[in-house]
Parts: sequence; C-alpha cells; structure tokens
Amino acid sequence: MKFSVSSSELLKNLQVASGAIGSNPVLPILEDFLFGVKENVLTIRATNLETTIVTEMNVNADTDGSVAVPAKILLDTLKALPDQPITFALNDDNRAIELTSAFGKYKLAGEGPEDFPELPEEEDTNSITINTEILSKAINKTLFATSNDELRLAMTGVFVQIDFNKIIFVATDAHKLIKYTFGNISSDQAASFIIPKKAMTLLKNAISRKEDVELSYNKTNAFFNFGETKIICRLIDAKYPDYNAVIPVDNPNDMLIGRNDFQKSLTRINIYANKTTNQVILNINDGSLTISAQDLDFSNEATEQLPCNYTGEPMNIGFNAKFMIEMLNVIESDEVKLEMSTPSRAGILLPTEEEENEQLLMLVMPVMMSH
Amino acid sequence: MDAFFAAVEQRDNPELRGKPMAVGGKDKVRGVIATASYEARRYRVTSAMSTRIAKKKCPRLIIVPPRFGVYKKISQQIRDIFYEYTDLVEPLSLDEAYLDVTENKRGIESAIQIARDIKEIIKAETQLTASAGISYNKFLAKVASDYHKPDGLTAILPENAQRFLDNLDITEFHGVGKATARKMERMKIFKGADLKNYTKSELGMHFGKMGAQFYDIVRGIDERPVDPDRKRKSISVENTFRDDITDTHEMIQELKSLSVKVAETLQKMEIKGRTVNIKVRLPDFTTFTRSKTYKDFSNDGPLIETTAVELFQNLDQEVTGVRLLGVGMSNLDNQDEPKTRQMDLGF
Repeated sequence: MKFSVSSSELLKNLQVASGAIGSNPVLPILEDFLFGVKENVLTIRATNLETTIVTEMNVNADTDGSVAVPAKILLDTLKALPDQPITFALNDDNRAIELTSAFGKYKLAGEGPEDFPELPEEEDTNSITINTEILSKAINKTLFATSNDELRLAMTGVFVQIDFNKIIFVATDAHKLIKYTFGNISSDQAASFIIPKKAMTLLKNAISRKEDVELSYNKTNAFFNFGETKIICRLIDAKYPDYNAVIPVDNPNDMLIGRNDFQKSLTRINIYANKTTNQVILNINDGSLTISAQDLDFSNEATEQLPCNYTGEPMNIGFNAKFMIEMLNVIESDEVKLEMSTPSRAGILLPTEEEENEQLLMLVMPVMMSH
Repeated sequence: MDAFFAAVEQRDNPELRGKPMAVGGKDKVRGVIATASYEARRYRVTSAMSTRIAKKKCPRLIIVPPRFGVYKKISQQIRDIFYEYTDLVEPLSLDEAYLDVTENKRGIESAIQIARDIKEIIKAETQLTASAGISYNKFLAKVASDYHKPDGLTAILPENAQRFLDNLDITEFHGVGKATARKMERMKIFKGADLKNYTKSELGMHFGKMGAQFYDIVRGIDERPVDPDRKRKSISVENTFRDDITDTHEMIQELKSLSVKVAETLQKMEIKGRTVNIKVRLPDFTTFTRSKTYKDFSNDGPLIETTAVELFQNLDQEVTGVRLLGVGMSNLDNQDEPKTRQMDLGF
C-alpha cells in the first residue's frame, strides 16, 4: 500500500473519524485508524465499539492495501506539518509505515487490519432520508437535555420515533424534557430507537450542510450516511420512558413574554440564586412577571420585574434558572409561551412562531420548597 | 452529669469508689478511654485517650467495660426529671441537655432555684452528681456548666457575662478545636478579649462561617433557641479494630458490613440522606474522610455500600493498613429547615 495525499486534506478527514476514538479504549487497536486503499480511494475507519465513523477520500495510490495506524502519532504529525503533499507507504512484511514530507521521513509501526473490529452488518434495515438542516436542528435542540445517569441508560440517549410521515426526537433527564417533531418526511414506517448521546454529538460535528442524511436502522444499530462519511452506532438497548404520559394537557395559566428579555433577566437573577438548586421564583400577575432569587447561605438576593401577557390565576412558581436558560437558548422565535397548571406541576415552554412542519415542546419540572 | 459512665460504675461497685478508674476498652493496643473517674483525672487521664497511654500515666488505673444499657436507663430517668420542669429540653448526649426554663411548669422564677432542685432530685434518685450552668444563652450556659465540676452550679448573669467572656480561654469557645486554637494563637488570640480585636469580616475570612459565630458569642450574642426536637444531622457507624486490618479485601468487607448497619439504622428511623461519608484511620492515626453527594435522598443499603467502597477505592493514598473504618450518611431529609428540591417527571 502506497499513496500520496494533501496533508491538510488527510488531517481534516482524520479529525472527523477521530471523534469515535475513546480516551481509554479497552483494546489497544481501538487507538488506531483503519486505513484501506482501493482504486485511489482511502477509507478511514475509527471505532470505540459503540460508535464507528467511516469516511472516504481520494488519494493518488500506487498500490492498494490496508493497515491499522496509531491515531495519536499520525494526527500529531499532520498537525505539525504545513499543508503539503505527503506519501504514505506500508511495508507489507513488517507493517512498518513510512511517511514522507518535504522535510523528511517518519516511521511508525502499524498493526494488522484483521485485528480491527468488523463493521456491524447492515442487515434487515429500513431507511429514511432526513434533511441535514432538520437533523442538525433536532440534535441541537435535544442533546443538552439528555441525562448523564448511567443507571437510567435509556435517558442517556436521544429517542427517535419515526411515525410514517413525521419524525420525533425526544430527550429528558427526568427534570426537563424536549420533544422536537418534524412533520414532513417520506416514510412508510413506524419505528423507534434510542441513539447514544456520544453518537449524536459526533453526528452533529460531522454533518455538513450540503447533503441530506440517509438514516438506516435495524434492531441493533443505526447507520447515518452523508456524503463520504458514515456514522454507525449501536442503539441503546433499553425501554424509553413513556414521555407522553408526563406532558400535562390542562394548563390554564399562560404567559407570553419576549424570549431575549426573559433569558437575560434569568441570567442576572440566577447569579443570586442558590448554587445547587438554581432556584428562581416566577411571580406572575396580570401583565407583570417578577423574577426573584435568594441564596440564604450568603444572604444574596435579587429581584427584577418584566412586562408580560398573562392569562390565568396569579402564579408563584420556582424553576431551575439554568434549565430555563438552556431551553430558551434553543428557541428561535422572539416571543415564548410558558404554560402552567399549578406550582408543583411541569411548566411547558413553547415558541410562539415556528417553521411549517416543525413543532418544539419543552417541559420543565419546578423546584419546590419541601417540608 | 459528672464523669457519667465512671460515676455509674463506682456507684454500682463499691470496690471502685475512691480509686482511679475509667470506663473504656481494656485492650492495651486498641482500647480507648470513654470516661475517667475524678481520681483518674488527677493523673491526667482524659476521655478519648488510648488505654495504653492512660496506663502509662496511671499504672494503677482500673479499666471497666462500658454498660450502655444501664447508662441509657439512667439518662432517661434524668430526662424525665427535666420534663417535670419544662418541655423545652434539648439533649446533647446521654448525660447533657439544654433546658429553657424561662417559662416552667412549676412557675419558679429563679433559674438558679430550678437548677438546685434538679440537682437534688438527680442525687436522690440516682445517687449521682450533676453540674449545672445557668445563663441567658446556650453558649454561656454550657460554659458555665463546665466551670465548676463536679457537683457544681454556676450562673453567669448578664452583667457579668462580658467580663467572663473576656477572660475565657479561646479553647473553651464552642467550635474551637486544636487546629483553630493553633491558628488563633498565631493571630495572638488567647482569651475572649483578644477575639474582640478582629472585625466580623476578618474572622469570617480566617475561620469561615464559624468566624462570624465567634464574633457574636464573644459579645454574649447567641440566638440559638433550645430546640426540643433537634434532629440528627448524620448517622454513622464506625469500628476500631483490635488489630489493624492490612488486607484490602477485608477492608472492603468491613465497609460493606458498616454500610448495611447504616442503612438499617436509617430505615429504622425512617429517614434518608443524600451524602455518603467514609472515615479511614491509618495505624499512625492519620484520618481521611471522603464523601459523595447524590441528587436524591436514599437509605438503600446497596447504594451506600457501593458508594462507600468506591470512595475508599478512590482515596488518593495507598492504604496498607487501617485502624478504624467508618461509614455514614448525612444531608438527611429529616431536617426542618425548608429544603428546595428539583422535582422529577414521574417516570
């Protein structure tokens, strides 16, 4: 195997793939990229056994072949080189790899490609095509709400529900819940699965705005294909909580308020809130919202008043300001609506304007005084 | 109560009377003194001293094992006497309590008279002596009760309080342990009066939250009420071993069985906690504590167990032997102060 390629082009592709390399792999070979050259195309693969990234690029190849290459040393070398053509040559007898730049030669030891984990089989799959922009929006709006609690595995991923012509993305950490629905896909399927947070993060970083994404899935894996890159991830094998059951339907108290003003006010007030609970109190009366917080441990307190449009009973409800701010962050409309029923039940945060076929619903549980 | 455990033993066994004796562990290597009789205190035998050292200070020292069942019964007897005067009784331990007698069931105006009465009844019913301290706040009352012992009765009246506090050794202040005392010495604080040379914020800077408290109490300000149902702030179980444990596997087994006991206690008291603590004391007495706080309250045995073991395994110190291991739970959900809680979606 021998080929030449632009050092910066190679680096760009390796950086995409390197997202799948874990920090403490269970097998030494998982610290490697798998290189395969065939007919002037270099295929790069990296995996942490849960998520695999495969990407292809054109090279000028003299001979075909494959080898596992230590990732860190190769990345470090390429990062330290100004853009230039480099050649990559493998000695098939001893798996020694020789890189040649304009400055000199670098040798590193490759490993046998046969030791690299196999790709999951793309068998019995169904597939749909999703617009890149929609997918990227869906990830941005949901990813932050996933849980880090390894004891509740299902919630550490994003739940994807394909329901014929619509696709729903759900994330929750049991305190807040985001549901993003896109209602204009073409599919004849109904299916659902949980994609690990890590894979979603990699996907978010790897997708470019150009092509649509083809999503194939079977019982165990999801395969995201876009352009020259493919991300394969093992699905989380757990039952997703029945999220629809916790979305309250009867919320007679509605507040309409400017998103930006609301968010900025929360940010200021949160500076004075208790650092563990981030509790801010929303006191809502006809036409006015008072946001306040206090931290008894330090005798800090703050209050601000904002105009709003309110219909309902006067309301005094506590929320985690950090959650609210994160949620307001992913809303695009200038005005938002907060629907509430009682101070001990979930509040629902909604944009007041949305693109056609899109629906965003965010749920957040209050922070209450107990005893 | 004066030298409580020791006094009970001397009461019940005439042979111990008038002799230096102590209640505690007999073992020369592991034993620790719980309470020393006044005769033993003359030899500077104090509580928490290791039996080995106590024996060195007083070779004739007689060590008696504790009989907690008996002490508990007497403790209840004494508390019942307190309740004859007021319901505002805040027990600090088996043999100590704060009483708020501002309004009392007998309508006695003088707190000193009440103290005399109570001491007399205790003596008559238990043949044991107690020392009382009387003042207008908890801190002063406690200091007063320690002032004359045994069988003492000290009152610090408002007009004398400041002079008393000015002359009080800082080591007598609530919250001043060895480390704080050393720090204070460096700051030239030896007596209460020296504390007054520092502003509240300076003391706060040096001693954190306690600093502000020192500032107040040295000025006779202590607003803490006598709280009749003061709640336990933590539950812990620890074990000092006859011989140091050197086998890691055995340490972990021990942590597990301590965890089970903590869980059982919590479950019996129907309380939960959020913070799991461990305590590890090495053969050279170096002591580590580590804790992990969860978002949710729990009294689940397996959770305490795994957390305790995890905390132990994450100690940034190689542990080749331990003298003591302890497991505890704090941040309990029985506290009265309002707790704010992030609510869950009910999955």
